[in-house]
Amino acid sequence: MDHAYLGIDVGSISTKGVIIDRDNHILGSEYIWTEGNPIWAVKELIRRLEQQFDKEHYKIVATGTTGSARKLAGTIVGATMVKNEITAHAVGTTTFYPNVRTILEIGGQDSKIILVENGVAVDYAMNTLCAAGTGAFLSSQAKRLGIDVEEIGAIALTSKHPTPIAARCTVFAESDLVHKIQNGHERKDIIAGVCNAVAANYLNNVGKGKKIESPVVFQGGVSKNAGVVAAFENMLGCKVIVDENGHLMGALGAAILAKKSDKRKEFDFSVEDMEFRTREVLCGRCTNNCEIICVYRNGMMIDFWGNRCERGANFK
Amino acid sequence: MESNKKVAFPRIANYNCAIKYILEKGMEVRCILQPEMTKRTIEIGAKYSPDYVCTPFKSSLGSMIEALEAGADSIMMTNGVCRLGYYGELQEQILRDLGYQFEFVNLSEYTTGKVKDYLKAVKRINPKYSFPKLMLALKDGLAMAEYVDNVTEEYYKNCGFEQEKGAFRKVFRQFLTEMETARSRGEIDAGYREAMQRMGRIPLDKPEWPLRVGVIGEFFTVMDPFSNLEVEQKLADMGVEVHRWMNVKNRMLHYSGEKNMNVKIRELCTYEMGPTSTANIWCAKDYAEQGFDGLIHVKSAGCTPEIDVMPVLQRISEEYKIPVLYLTYDSQTSDVGMMTRLEAFYDMIEMRKKVV
Repeated sequence: MDHAYLGIDVGSISTKGVIIDRDNHILGSEYIWTEGNPIWAVKELIRRLEQQFDKEHYKIVATGTTGSARKLAGTIVGATMVKNEITAHAVGTTTFYPNVRTILEIGGQDSKIILVENGVAVDYAMNTLCAAGTGAFLSSQAKRLGIDVEEIGAIALTSKHPTPIAARCTVFAESDLVHKIQNGHERKDIIAGVCNAVAANYLNNVGKGKKIESPVVFQGGVSKNAGVVAAFENMLGCKVIVDENGHLMGALGAAILAKKSDKRKEFDFSVEDMEFRTREVLCGRCTNNCEIICVYRNGMMIDFWGNRCERGANFK
Repeated sequence: MESNKKVAFPRIANYNCAIKYILEKGMEVRCILQPEMTKRTIEIGAKYSPDYVCTPFKSSLGSMIEALEAGADSIMMTNGVCRLGYYGELQEQILRDLGYQFEFVNLSEYTTGKVKDYLKAVKRINPKYSFPKLMLALKDGLAMAEYVDNVTEEYYKNCGFEQEKGAFRKVFRQFLTEMETARSRGEIDAGYREAMQRMGRIPLDKPEWPLRVGVIGEFFTVMDPFSNLEVEQKLADMGVEVHRWMNVKNRMLHYSGEKNMNVKIRELCTYEMGPTSTANIWCAKDYAEQGFDGLIHVKSAGCTPEIDVMPVLQRISEEYKIPVLYLTYDSQTSDVGMMTRLEAFYDMIEMRKKVV
């Protein structure tokens, strides 16, 4: 029986899962929408992964979780490794692209840049106060224009004169966009303008002051958008690599990190049938009023977090 | 002669004990110490503050309201070398508009360039103060502030490596309690000596070359653990030796002056950069030259002097190959988002150290 490793990346918009073998070959992968319900998404993901998984020959000996719901997902699946998405992405990408110098990543609600030297991340930045120039902006504008977010890329590439759109802030970009629509700009030009706006915003915000060197790998959900890829190539003046598994890089990184650590715990697919529930409690033991999250499995509390001090530590 | 005023001041980091000591021993007034800042402090502060003002304005306003609720009838507000210098005036107006009755002593009004003029402020707090008592208490209180800085430095350098979890915190807490209750120089010195000795005896599991991170940034946010969401503690808990030069001791008591500081960073800046900017640039350069593994730059949103520092830090980062993490705080900043960035920063410098 060969060893396999599971990586789960639960983001704001999508949930990704991947099972790899000892040599990082993908044995199964899945990409579904989180739909604001990470617990459901994780269970659904596991159910789908189970169908692809060859239980006769492999067993999963370590599990890693990442993404904004990494802690919750880690508790549910009994993860051996819970890692932040920045490290997971860096590890995933440098494993498959050892020569990479710059990793651009744009997800649903955040975006990051990771600079790599000799296969090791040396600097990174993540968007701070604002979600301007992320996937959420693209999908809300797609909705406004009455198209699917998946179509944006193809339409953008047909434009010859992208409309300039003020990209400083999502809200202002949106009013500028409406203004341009009402002024009679062509739809494809507007759509190409939105793609340019995302790339420009990213480079001005997250990429500010960072030396972007080739080879550049672009990943995250937005990397599937050919319009944004073209915008980046245009602005950076170099080729931008988009891996066919780019959307899975976080999950791959989590699986690789789980493999590298020495913690081992066999993964049990039965979690898909268990009932998980969370409950938010206000601690109330001081005026911090920490929001403590309790996680219940089949009615039993298995974990809690969110307290800032020891007053909430012996919380029951 | 004693005055029956009940004086309070907005809380600041761990220096409350020293200010309280100077007020009580030097000016012979009762000092009202409001509770430590919590989320509520920020919430009520933000509620009555202009939206775009920096977070220290909001938290200090909230802290003043909590002091008034605790029974203070007089409030002291500090002067400052950035916009902070204007804050007292605005905060007083906001509090008056809210209907609070109190006396407000704003040190900015007495900042004239002559130290002597500060005595007028003291006179407002207690018209019958004794000058020798004030000088003595000032000397002892400032010594206490310096001790607090020494113990804090020792704490963050080592607490991440303690064998028994919580050993450092226990000593640190007890030290702060002792400083808060100290009534004489003898008690201050004894409390300090004991804390340093006890910390020195705590068994450590420290590697020969631990990860070292320098924390720099805006004066208030970088020193106040509540305001920076305990960034130093979180780093230390990951197993990092945390250094922070910026404190009252280094920036105020033993500061070599803007001109002398500026000389040390001539190749980076032609002109003096202002409040804490010059010092922070020097400090970043110094940490980089000492071979630190990373720098963390802390500021509240909209802090202009610290925004000015950032391009210089980017140059230092490039020239010395030292990663810099920029953290910006406002009243909405979440713990979770910061933890993600800190964890990633730690992973990065750790993997980097293994390779280099």
